[in-house]
Amino acid sequence: MTYKYEDGNLNLSLNEELDMNSCKMLRTVMDGYIMRYQPKECVVDLSEVTFMDSSGIGLILGRYNLLKLIDSKMTILNPSGSIKRLLEVSNISNHITLRCE
Amino acid sequence: MENFMRMEIKALLENVAPVRVAVSTFISNLAITIDELMDIKTAVSEAVTNSIEHGYDGIFNDESTVIVNIYTKREDYDDIKIEIIDMGIGIDDIELVTTPTYTSKPELEHAGMGFTIMETFMDEVSIDSSKDSGTTITLSKRLKKKKSIV
Repeated sequence: MTYKYEDGNLNLSLNEELDMNSCKMLRTVMDGYIMRYQPKECVVDLSEVTFMDSSGIGLILGRYNLLKLIDSKMTILNPSGSIKRLLEVSNISNHITLRCE
Repeated sequence: MENFMRMEIKALLENVAPVRVAVSTFISNLAITIDELMDIKTAVSEAVTNSIEHGYDGIFNDESTVIVNIYTKREDYDDIKIEIIDMGIGIDDIELVTTPTYTSKPELEHAGMGFTIMETFMDEVSIDSSKDSGTTITLSKRLKKKKSIV
């Protein structure tokens, strides 16, 4: 994972397969950056993520709930076709903005 | 033609990724689309993760393993059947655990979507479980393309 912070915007770029094994570690790391920068918006960039299962949904929802507590928005950037379908099945797309560019 | 592959892993989360890779490599020579391949990979990941996280919850030891068997049948359409077998604690209430967003471990940020995803991405999901003797999940899918293209 890499991160970039600029003008209230925190960008977290994930580049691993999101399963239970990686998510256990990632949630602590992501929360660390969120609490450190307390951004206005947090963009979770999935451009490089080639696989995700429901653990990834848990990861995204957990960060979404934390961001909501500090009055911050969340955007999911560039999910692949299959990840987008997974997000739709889990109704995540009703709460969180998806953006492709 | 019929074919199969059988695997047994120690019940560790780090072994889920190698299982996904092995399953997708084994079925990649069928008349399969990338979407179908991803669907199957995701469903297998859910089932194996469940066995490790829930099947062996509290009773994990050096002998705890998960068995994954894949059967393929190539006729007019290709059929895939995958069994995920653990010898863990079993499922008490199958109706409850298959309810969308139900999770026994909310504090671990489980989304409770595992069975919903398996049911959405596969044609058929069957659960055979009894208390203290383990769980077998069977995932089946018929591929949409006729095999003539090869």
